[in-house]
Amino acid sequence: MRRAAAISLLWPGAALACALPPSIIMTLPTGYYMAGAAATVAVTGLLAASPNLLPRMEARVLLRRRVLIPVMASSYAAWVLFLALVLIGFIGARDPMHNLLTLTIWTVVWVALPMGCMIFGNLWRAVNPWTAPIRLTRQLLGRSTGIGLARLGHWPAVLGLFGFFWFYIVSMSPDDPQTLATAALSYWAVVFALGVLEGEDWLEQGEFLTVYFGFLAKIAPFWLERDSTRATVKYGWPGTQVLHMPPLSPSAIAFVTLSLAGLTFDGLRETFWYMGLIGENPLEFTGRSAVIGVNSLGLLVTWALTATTILAALRLGPLLQSRPVLAFAGGAVPSEKRPNLMPVMLSFLAISAGYHAAHYLTTLLTAGQYTLAALNDPLFRGDDFLGLPPFYVSMGFLTDRWAMTLVWNTQFTLILGAHILAVILALRLSPEGVQARAHFPLTALMVAYTVLGLWLLASPGG
Amino acid sequence: MTKLIGITPSRRSLLKGMAATASALALPGFVQAQSSAPIKLGFQLHRTGIGAAYGRWYERTTQAALKVLNDQGGINGRPVEVVFEDDGTDPKRGAEVVEKLASQAGCDAIFGPLFSHVVIGSAPRAGELKVPYLVCSEGYHVASGKLNRWTMQPGITDVRAQVSSMAPWVANNLGKKVTMVFPDYAFGHDHRDFFTAAIAAQGGEVIKHIAVPPTETSFTRYLPQIPRDTEVLYHVMVGPAVLTFVKELGEFYGSGARPEIFGFIDSLEAVDTAAPGLEFLEGTHFWEGHCRVKQADASEHETFYRAAVGVDDNGASVSDAKDVSTYAHMFSTWETLFLIKAGMEAAGYQGSADRQKLIEALEAMTELPESQAHPQGSKIFNGKLHQVFGRQNISKVEGGKLVRVHQTTIDETMYESDVDYTAMSF
Repeated sequence: MRRAAAISLLWPGAALACALPPSIIMTLPTGYYMAGAAATVAVTGLLAASPNLLPRMEARVLLRRRVLIPVMASSYAAWVLFLALVLIGFIGARDPMHNLLTLTIWTVVWVALPMGCMIFGNLWRAVNPWTAPIRLTRQLLGRSTGIGLARLGHWPAVLGLFGFFWFYIVSMSPDDPQTLATAALSYWAVVFALGVLEGEDWLEQGEFLTVYFGFLAKIAPFWLERDSTRATVKYGWPGTQVLHMPPLSPSAIAFVTLSLAGLTFDGLRETFWYMGLIGENPLEFTGRSAVIGVNSLGLLVTWALTATTILAALRLGPLLQSRPVLAFAGGAVPSEKRPNLMPVMLSFLAISAGYHAAHYLTTLLTAGQYTLAALNDPLFRGDDFLGLPPFYVSMGFLTDRWAMTLVWNTQFTLILGAHILAVILALRLSPEGVQARAHFPLTALMVAYTVLGLWLLASPGG
Repeated sequence: MTKLIGITPSRRSLLKGMAATASALALPGFVQAQSSAPIKLGFQLHRTGIGAAYGRWYERTTQAALKVLNDQGGINGRPVEVVFEDDGTDPKRGAEVVEKLASQAGCDAIFGPLFSHVVIGSAPRAGELKVPYLVCSEGYHVASGKLNRWTMQPGITDVRAQVSSMAPWVANNLGKKVTMVFPDYAFGHDHRDFFTAAIAAQGGEVIKHIAVPPTETSFTRYLPQIPRDTEVLYHVMVGPAVLTFVKELGEFYGSGARPEIFGFIDSLEAVDTAAPGLEFLEGTHFWEGHCRVKQADASEHETFYRAAVGVDDNGASVSDAKDVSTYAHMFSTWETLFLIKAGMEAAGYQGSADRQKLIEALEAMTELPESQAHPQGSKIFNGKLHQVFGRQNISKVEGGKLVRVHQTTIDETMYESDVDYTAMSF
């Protein structure tokens, strides 16, 4: 009864996965922000008419150095750390905000690390807890061949990502340390077994975290390229690396659309609009147990809609082409001469990255404090491993007008920046000879996505 | 700022526990080995889900109470441990948490849940497992008689008592013609039903009920429904749109005449009333279960409680003046923990075999005087109803701060009921 109340005003982490309390954001002129962002993305799309104005995206070398820590060593250390965290999950504090496993997975691995990858490149490669165990095991077993898993493309990763989103967004208690420890250890074991059979290189296409972090890292303005002894740090415009990627395979397209859909649904399911749709009172939300079925369906439908609209835009664009891609004289354009816009799919990596950062910003600021506190004093004995001054976890900024205006503007910048980048990448990825008009459907979709992303962040959520 | 979060249990209390063990060993035959083991209590925490903002402060208050309790020698000389378990503010998970705490963790009693639907979903499991289940929910569901012998609410008053006891003061000081604006679901309906009846008993009248759908985010179409002859506007809007509600209400009345305004602090629990955008609330009144701002006549117990929890004179965290606590409600966890201590000591509690004795000891309690264990004030426990009764406060926003202008007596909050849990079997 009465309690189903003011709470969402403040909500520090309705799960480590909750949206921010929109109370202050609701009083900001978010409609103008959305209109401005939509106009900006649309105008950026007009660059299709004058491609020479697009930024030249070239990689430059920042420095070269010797490899300091071999991946095998850091991966092995990460694996040991992972096992320690799983142990903490099983025997540590039952309170998820005091348990390092829960905090590490949901604030470090799923929030801080992706943000790091978007800036500094593929940090995951160094801390992948499978690489070393798989390679060592294969060496011990004398295995050098695979079992043909590579033929499945990215589909195993798609399955993994769907399972992950379902566990995180839909299942009843993803924060519960024991539940999480069981899930994490089981997933690790399955991937380990498959990796031993197929080889550690398979992780790059079959393990969803490796794939996801690898994709996010393609947006980074700084990145590392390494061979066995030398490492080269490069820099360039965000997205520069994307231009050098091969077009995505169908399974990789499924992966990218699912990653967008999962993030979208994670925001959507908390909005008053969605709550109304499924007949839940957001002020008296019954709890996850009551919506497992409908949210499972919601996740699938969101994926279907996301994939359909993106693929439709990519297919519709070429139909608007009025002349052949290569200079051809007159007449109707035969279908084989129409441009293929599928390589443009890669531009959606920018949207994935921007939305990930914006959506989880408040999680980082709220649950991140618990993580710092737990790292500083893991056993709650008064230790001070990080040398931090004593502090209480504090959520005051969530009700502070200045702070929340800053948070909103940061999210706005991330979403808008990501979509502008996506439009630019889309134009750069287009084959030669594509007319500006062929970009219209895609640009329109990007505008819609911009508004949707901002609307999700601005909407009141339960 | 002298403490870190989550001191569970402090080193000092561990040492005390070890000392207690040592002294027990020194007196063979006086106590059994079991009685020197820590008493384990379960806390059903809304750590995640819709109740998380309350959960954070409920945990912080409980940690503070636990430290005080252990520093004072624990319960019956035994140290106390509290196992916090997240229920996701979900009734199904709540029932599982009760089972985990009672069966797996071996807790002697469970306390702490707040949200009504979680309490209603969890209490039957506590009854089946025969484990004392002490809720801090304010709901009328305990006193209504629909729960069980093992469930009680000794640390906080219920919504019926709160709402009804406001009516005399409102009728005599603000006006008799009342318009109510409330969210259109159970929480708002409780206010509608209890207050409408209570104001009628005072010779007043609710001249208009304005029910607002819970998903509404703008209120401009509802405000013109407020009758012109309204003397008191009673509002209990809650949720993310509250700030919008206040803003639009301010725009609706402008700088012209407005009725007196009375609300429940639930609307703005954990929100700074001096925040920009809430200026319209100046001069309006709120119910408060426990006065957020330290009042001029605050007792030493109140001062002690604030310091222990780490809350300043404005009800905010000592480490962040913007971080306003859920002050009107969170005292309930503190008081419930000390009631468990009183109950266990009265029952001569040894172990889980004595759970029934604990319930009987609690049912036998009546007067709970204001003390360190009851910093919110004196209370009277009704063992038949399994519900405590205490004073309610009415505060006025003056200079952005809530200043108490009235406090009810305990008698004013009591109501007739024929519920008798003591007649139920265990």
